[in-house]
Amino acid sequence: MNRPGARLLRGALNQASLILFALVFAGFGSLSAKFLSPANLLNILLQSAPTVIVAVGMTFVLLTGGVDLSVGAVMFVGAALAGKAAPGGAGPAAAVGLMLAAGALLGLGNGFLVARLKVIPFVVTLAVMSIGRGFGLWLTETRALNLSNEFLQVGAARVLGVPVPVLLAGAVLVAATVVLGATPFGRQLYAVGQNAAAARRAGVNTRRILLIAYVLSGVCAGLGGFLSLAQLGAVSSKFGENYEFKAIAAAVLGGASLQGGRGRIFPGALLGATLIQAVENGLVILNADPYLYPLVTSAVIFLAVLVDATRTSLLAESHRRQIRVEP
Amino acid sequence: MRRATTMPVFAPGWRPRWGSECLILAAGGVYFLAAAPFIPGLASWENLGNLLSNLLPLLVIAVGQTLVLIAGGIDLSATAIMAVTSVAGAMVMRGVPGHGPVAALAGVGVMLGMGTAVGWGNGFAITRLRLPAFMVTLTSMMFFSGLALWLTQSQKINGLPAAFNALGGNLAVELILTTAVVGLTAWGLGRLLAGRWLYAVGHNPRAALISGVPVGPVVMAAYAFSGGAAALGAVLLTGRGETGDPVLGRYLMLDVIGAAVLGGASFFGGRGGVGGTAAGVLFIKLVDNSLSLQGCSHFTIMMVKGGLILAAALADGGRRRLAGEDQGGRA
Amino acid sequence: MIEFQGIEKRFAGVRAVGPVSFDLPPGATLGLVGENGAGKSTLMNLLGGNLQPDAGSMRLAERPYAPHGPAEAMRCGIAFIHQELNLFGNLTIAENLFLTRFPRWWRSPFIYRTGLRAEAGKLLAQVGLELDPHTPMDRLAVGECQLVEIAKALAGDPRLIIFDEPTSSLSTREAERLFALMAGFRRQGRSLIYISHALGDVLRLCDDLVILRDGLVAGRGPARDFTIPRLISLMAGRVPEATAPAPTPPREPAGAVALAVRGVSRPGVVRDISFELRRGEILGIAGMMGAGRSELARILFGLDAPAAGELRLHGRPLQGATVRERVRRGMAFVTEDRRGEGLCLEASVADNLALAALPAFARGRARRIDRPGLQAALTPVKAAVRLTADADGRAVKTLSGGNQQKVVLAKWLLTKPGVIILDEPTRGIDVGAKCEIHELIRALAAAGTAVLLISSELEELTALCDRLLVLNRGEITATLARAEFDQARILAAALPGERSA
Repeated sequence: MNRPGARLLRGALNQASLILFALVFAGFGSLSAKFLSPANLLNILLQSAPTVIVAVGMTFVLLTGGVDLSVGAVMFVGAALAGKAAPGGAGPAAAVGLMLAAGALLGLGNGFLVARLKVIPFVVTLAVMSIGRGFGLWLTETRALNLSNEFLQVGAARVLGVPVPVLLAGAVLVAATVVLGATPFGRQLYAVGQNAAAARRAGVNTRRILLIAYVLSGVCAGLGGFLSLAQLGAVSSKFGENYEFKAIAAAVLGGASLQGGRGRIFPGALLGATLIQAVENGLVILNADPYLYPLVTSAVIFLAVLVDATRTSLLAESHRRQIRVEP
Repeated sequence: MRRATTMPVFAPGWRPRWGSECLILAAGGVYFLAAAPFIPGLASWENLGNLLSNLLPLLVIAVGQTLVLIAGGIDLSATAIMAVTSVAGAMVMRGVPGHGPVAALAGVGVMLGMGTAVGWGNGFAITRLRLPAFMVTLTSMMFFSGLALWLTQSQKINGLPAAFNALGGNLAVELILTTAVVGLTAWGLGRLLAGRWLYAVGHNPRAALISGVPVGPVVMAAYAFSGGAAALGAVLLTGRGETGDPVLGRYLMLDVIGAAVLGGASFFGGRGGVGGTAAGVLFIKLVDNSLSLQGCSHFTIMMVKGGLILAAALADGGRRRLAGEDQGGRA
Repeated sequence: MIEFQGIEKRFAGVRAVGPVSFDLPPGATLGLVGENGAGKSTLMNLLGGNLQPDAGSMRLAERPYAPHGPAEAMRCGIAFIHQELNLFGNLTIAENLFLTRFPRWWRSPFIYRTGLRAEAGKLLAQVGLELDPHTPMDRLAVGECQLVEIAKALAGDPRLIIFDEPTSSLSTREAERLFALMAGFRRQGRSLIYISHALGDVLRLCDDLVILRDGLVAGRGPARDFTIPRLISLMAGRVPEATAPAPTPPREPAGAVALAVRGVSRPGVVRDISFELRRGEILGIAGMMGAGRSELARILFGLDAPAAGELRLHGRPLQGATVRERVRRGMAFVTEDRRGEGLCLEASVADNLALAALPAFARGRARRIDRPGLQAALTPVKAAVRLTADADGRAVKTLSGGNQQKVVLAKWLLTKPGVIILDEPTRGIDVGAKCEIHELIRALAAAGTAVLLISSELEELTALCDRLLVLNRGEITATLARAEFDQARILAAALPGERSA
């Protein structure tokens, strides 16, 4: 176990997502100089901003050992509400309020069902996904809604040269990191995810923790939906579809465990979300067949999951109790 | 006295247990009787035939999912397997000269083989590479639905052999095929070594391993079966639509998982059965059918189905709490 | 200090505890003993606020006391150290200590890390643990975790500390360290409640004793009035034949070699293990917690691979044989983790009983289960372990610990094993079931089965075994024949030498 090769391997596996990240960037960079240009890097950040935010919310839920399949539908409900309100004169400010409120409300519903009524998160959020998407389709009458130019202006606006979506994503990242690392709620969230029964015995209000986690996920989905809306400028009936899987993949790529208790916002969720976006962006630059995007993305995700599992089992092996010290 | 959650190998005589399957079957019956007078045409023979033919493919796929759930896993890739086998089968059938029964046979063989192989691959990654089932089947869902679109460039494939279309288009053929597969599965789960092993693996894989159960192969077989079942569902649906469809079954995941959960399958493994899932499928399709007859739009039906699954999960939770069983709060 | 007045608790209509009335004077140490299921844990969970009583009341320091949760009990000065540790490996020691009462920056929601480290350091010093408070919890050994749990209890400066089976996973040395700490707490004037199956410890440590049986107080009084046999008779409700099981009567020399182990090693676990286990022999393995006994059993059963060495079953090599092949060739393994590895708790008794022997009852190419045949084979096995016939359809998790263990044993009896490995087969089960299991082990050996018995109870080993191996840090340090069984000699071989400190 103490051979330098093994130690190197373990070190590499510990930084697996970073290495994968670097490999993807180096790979695309060598194929196209344009990929690594500052403008394109900023573009990747800009494109991944909504995913980063939704993945941050997802990380909170994954840390509890649950999962939130409803985030895509939450984005759609919020966008549909904003789209319906827009012709009546509601601008981006009102829209963001509506979307956050919709996210909080649906998140509260998820959280209530999971924490209070103890229904399995997968089933709860799958059902809410169906209800939400149905509701959104009813609102929009399955038609695409075009929004005013104000929305696109928000998406393209810059403060001190940094695009607003990137700033927002950065703010969410910082806030979530502080909440998880430096507040009692954050530390208790990790405890609940590790072992909910033990946390309850230790005096942690597990219901409250679960509830807040789902509300935060809903709010993040609302905000992410707004940014996505501000970049697209329209609500189609497919808005937010499969976003839940993208967010889960991003969080897991960043090292979150579906078993709960393990995962980090920074660099985890950020890395995961930008990695997925970078792959897509790189394929666009290379003029690849758009049909190949999901194939390459899923292969990259699979690879990351595989590496993470190898790392975990190797760590478990080395953490195993040693009964005797071999001479 | 609390009783076990699965039927023991030797049932001391059949007695009605208020398990999930009875509950959901009764709910379905009550719903039908209550709705029939208000929805003209619901109880007509023609509509019941329609209902049946809509229900059969879903039943096959949901039974496959049930086996995976019993083993304590989840298969998110079932719908993607349907899409990819649909287009692969269609391409093969278009490629085989003659467009006759030989082409149909080749197509069905390729579809079933491919579905089983993909499912086996999922199982391999889960048991041998020790990856989480959720992520494995999620990535294979993304990959194979992408593959189906790439292979066809989003185009449907028409002109399939008539012999093939008859499989899904003919209610009698469909009924015989489905009943045979589902009935054999139900029998096997209760009476065959493999079926008992599957429940044991779902209940506690470590205890099963120490008792000499080949845990890995059993789990792999469950995923392979689920993949094969999805492919069989694709055979039926592709034949009915007479096209290889790259987005076949894209909105079916809710129905598949919903039916299994309505029927009493648990995400913790060891619970569920073919009977329960069949009752769940019946109930979902009945609601679907009655609302369509009422002229409800598909988004209304989506909302109702979502609510229904929630209600069922709540009712099951309530029933189990009354029975004093433990509840888990994790996925 | 604390007073129970007619306390009663029911689960689903079935009375678990009470009515129970007794009191604990301030500063005293109370020993609470009783068989599993006697209501000790329920009673303490009522005290610790995890459960609420259905009738009766409690008084704490002359004032009514009715906690609605563990947090309230903690505020009232009651600390509960659970049998299973409530610690989180993904947090640091300090975070575990202050999980529900983090020091904050002045009126802000943010944790004050510097204060946290200082406070945690103070608590760790009180229990004599010299570790950085910011060490991740998953780096700690079991004994250290126990100390952290005690430090956590001290954080609320409790007046009353409840210890529920604190020594069950500790080595002798760690247990002594714990007892010294407890003595310190008594000098500080704190009251203690000590729950344990180790009756010798209870008599040594406690001032007063309360014996529970079937949820009722079966006896109480100063500890000096009790002896171990009297405690056992009060716990069991009958006169015990003897404290230790009667020794196995001398028998014919054992038969042919069933399991041969030669030079088995696995780096970091065991080294150069060699022994022979004969038909009809009961071979014991003694050793301290963590000496590698269970790990050796796992290697023998094919759950872990040895790095070197050779295994032979009835003369044929076992190299590369999977668990499934070993079971088919007549090996059986009762693990120490009954609930985690021995049983499918949610499944029925019948399904659990049948599991290991299923392939033997599978007929034809489809491997259909021969249900009448299985049913017929089960009847004598159930009779052998005295499981009632109507248990078949019940979920195993509803059985008592003793009956659960009998299900595990019966599962293996059904396979008619030639070699059976028993890892702590009587841990945590009541006295009655324990006697029955001892008889069963003897009957197995008498019928020609080779038995490998791992146990932490020396009385059990010396009474049952024909021969004894002593394991110490993964190596065999002594092989003793029946005539050489001697507690002092076994302990001397089992205790690690000074160089290992």
